[in-house]
Amino acid sequence: MLRVRWATIAILILSRQLSAQTPSSNDAQTIEVLVQQVKALQQETIELRQRVKALETEKASTPSPQAVSTPEPPAPEPASTSSIAASPQDSFPLHELRGIQWRGFGEVDYKVLNQRKPELGTDGFVAGSAGNFFTGDFDLFLSSQLTDRSSVLAEIVFQEGDAQSYKVDLRRVLLKYDFNDHLKLSFGRYQTGIGYYNWAFRSAAWLQTTNDRPLIMEYATDGGLLPTQAIGVSATGSIPSGTLGLNYLAEYGSSDTIRPDIDGSGLLNDENNGNHVLLGAFARPDWARGLQFGSSIYHDKISNLHGGLNERYGQTIVNAYAAYVAHGLELLNEGFLIRHAELHGSDLFNMPAFYTQASKRVRQFRPFVRYQYVNANPRSVFEDVLLRHGPSFGSRYDLNDFIAFTAQLDHTVRKGQPDLNGLQLQFAFTF
Amino acid sequence: MFAKPIPVLMMALMAGLVFAPSASAQLADVAVVVNPSNPVSSLSLIELRKIFAGEKRSWQGGAPVHPFVRPPGCHERLVLLRLLGMSESEYKQHWTTLVFRGEVGSEPSSVPSIGMQKEALSVFSGAITLVDANDVKPGMKVIKIDGHLPGEPGYPVH
Repeated sequence: MLRVRWATIAILILSRQLSAQTPSSNDAQTIEVLVQQVKALQQETIELRQRVKALETEKASTPSPQAVSTPEPPAPEPASTSSIAASPQDSFPLHELRGIQWRGFGEVDYKVLNQRKPELGTDGFVAGSAGNFFTGDFDLFLSSQLTDRSSVLAEIVFQEGDAQSYKVDLRRVLLKYDFNDHLKLSFGRYQTGIGYYNWAFRSAAWLQTTNDRPLIMEYATDGGLLPTQAIGVSATGSIPSGTLGLNYLAEYGSSDTIRPDIDGSGLLNDENNGNHVLLGAFARPDWARGLQFGSSIYHDKISNLHGGLNERYGQTIVNAYAAYVAHGLELLNEGFLIRHAELHGSDLFNMPAFYTQASKRVRQFRPFVRYQYVNANPRSVFEDVLLRHGPSFGSRYDLNDFIAFTAQLDHTVRKGQPDLNGLQLQFAFTF
Repeated sequence: MFAKPIPVLMMALMAGLVFAPSASAQLADVAVVVNPSNPVSSLSLIELRKIFAGEKRSWQGGAPVHPFVRPPGCHERLVLLRLLGMSESEYKQHWTTLVFRGEVGSEPSSVPSIGMQKEALSVFSGAITLVDANDVKPGMKVIKIDGHLPGEPGYPVH
């Protein structure tokens, strides 16, 4: 019995000793924090030394105080955000050059289709070829904070065309003024708030999970159906709504659109759009972080050149969406109803479209699946589109924070034409 | 002959595990500090999250919010990531996306030391940052989160 007592005491002592000696994960964390703090202090010391050196150099080059009248000491200049932020250990998402922050996005793609009859080739892809490489969009994003409340934003895109030619597109240029969280104004060329995808992903392939945009959200200049860009004024802000997190969106602008037919006919449709009005609302509830749902209505007038210049239609586009992006999960669901009503006639076309996309991040992989559907009326301006639907599968693999590789398989059912299967491989990067 | 001592040994082992001191002291609360001239004295945890997620960009009254963060690896940074429910990589991508969308002008500036945090607070009237509660210095106004100050029971930022 005595032995057992001694054994118990020994084990208790041993276990205490062991627990004191074995570094737990908390210890490791604390050590890491301390190491980082030491590093930060070292960096601060280096910066202070450099500052002292610079001051000494400046002092040495300045004439002696007896020779000139003593100037008033300069008022302490407010340190700029960038000077405070200059830490070499930290890699910032944006680079700064003389007050202009910039970032680049690029992509290199390879695509092959099983049908040789050409469809529309965009971004340098040669439709009808067995398969070829192209560079898509090369995107330079610039922004500059002018004052506390105003800023400028620009997005310059070099887009590959036919035979390795490139065209420059000032895809966005915005003068922004934020009064407060309830009223933020933007003037210039913007991407319309016609759908979640257009608002959320803009034009950088690196930000997207898939290799390409859903057809309904494709840029109009690349054969998309909707007026994705406009020049005008846009207002947005939050609406006091408690935990619902309601926001509004209002746009008024010119969205004159010329879209190429996507069936490879080589025709261009100049829609001669009048000024558009867009009103929308969306919610980001506090009780479901990552959830955003909303709706918008867009209206303008367009021409249907197939019926002559005088054939004008009222175009109304209703959109509703629900998106959940959190905890590595991405669920995007968006539906549209495009309504073209002849102004001086009885033609009325209601054309539905939707896409749904789901992906889940698993370590560096993000497998995804997408299904899209567009059903356009053959007598409308979208006579080249007709009924198209089908799934896409693939996976994105993030090599690091800057480079991603994506492989995607597409199957598209086309009304009156053979099904189209495609494989697209893409390296998307940011710098 | 070993049938009896084994349960006793097991109990002793369990007791040792239970009563052994925790290997390290719990990491300290992190104070949320603002410029002393800022009239705000309390925020909810949701508001704090919205500020550092770039969703709330002005103080009541309209003055712009200037969030400052510590670089990766710091205790305050780990607490920030926990607050936002993001990894370091997701945090960077989140802010890149916000800036690219045009929702914000720039991502929060990163300051490598407490001294520079204090400097940032004194320069920007709308500044807000996270500081280890043990490192709070004069010139930093500590605000309540969900009605609690650091060190008080129920304080949520740690």
